Amino acid sequence: MSSVRFVVPQMRLAKLLRTPGGLPVVDAVEAAEDNLRTIQPTCAAELLALLELCERSFAALPEAPDDEGLADIYAIAVRGIGGGKVSGLPAIDTALVSLCDLIDQLRTTGRYDRQAVGVHVNSWRLLQRGGLPDAATSAVLDGLHKVKRRYADESYPADAGPTAVANHDGIVQP
Amino acid sequence: MGISILVSIVAGLGAKLLYRCSTVEQAQEAFASHRLDLAIIDSMAPGGGGYDLVKWIRTSGREPNCFVPILVTTGHTPAADVVRARDCGGNIIIKKPIAPIVLLERIIWASKEGRPYLFSDNYVGPDRRFQDKDLPTGSGKRRSDLPEEPFSTQSPVETEDSPTATAEQKASLAS
Repeated sequence: MSSVRFVVPQMRLAKLLRTPGGLPVVDAVEAAEDNLRTIQPTCAAELLALLELCERSFAALPEAPDDEGLADIYAIAVRGIGGGKVSGLPAIDTALVSLCDLIDQLRTTGRYDRQAVGVHVNSWRLLQRGGLPDAATSAVLDGLHKVKRRYADESYPADAGPTAVANHDGIVQP
Repeated sequence: MGISILVSIVAGLGAKLLYRCSTVEQAQEAFASHRLDLAIIDSMAPGGGGYDLVKWIRTSGREPNCFVPILVTTGHTPAADVVRARDCGGNIIIKKPIAPIVLLERIIWASKEGRPYLFSDNYVGPDRRFQDKDLPTGSGKRRSDLPEEPFSTQSPVETEDSPTATAEQKASLAS
């Protein structure tokens, strides 16, 4: 029979937060936003470096199923999530989450679609340039969503062909 | 990049003394050497041991640090890690990208006193059964915390152990 024990610990952080004289919430949040603005150039540079790393990994990804290659790209993409918003390119975060979802679904179900991964990597490059009109950004993200959704549907046949193609500008055409 | 973003936010929110750890080993050393008031741990810390680190802290038995509020940040949780995330013993999981106001709300919520910590054979950490009335508002709420109508797309299924479990949750519990 297993034993269960409950403890109600003292929370020093709660006492600290109750201590009078701290920053008002509005000022604290504004200070945090200011700090994020100061690291914006660094984040943009790091995000670009991750993109280049991802492109190299994708170029090395074979046509035949390669779970390790997918895992490498996943590891790169997940590191970039959050950097898009700080860099002023929040759509990149959405694209990276979509890429991680896709790879996770592929690996979980034992499927493989190099082209679907490539569409995401090309879209990341396109979004990284910045300056896209909102409608174009929405179109790119919508295309990625459709590509990802096909693998979220378990009834989608594993031996079906590529789910999407991208032109030279990275525009997704599901 | 992730750690720089977190440090920028937490420093702006008023944290005075930060231990910035790039590896699990550094974090374990900081945990063993200093009294901590809050830990923010990336689930995908280099080496992939974020959840294991949380579990290590909870099961270490080193008071008071084993009770420290722990926020787990994640950019994406693979399907294979969902159970690890649930069972690691973190107070709350925060999805990236993280907005300062969201992080502040979660810190305040996680630091609330009176929440019991549970020690059992399979789980050590804050009791996962609690009323949802004080959950942070805004984005990132669990689907089960939202009102069932008109947003819910799942049909509630009555079960013996969990009368409000959905079909998806029931399948998850069974697997």
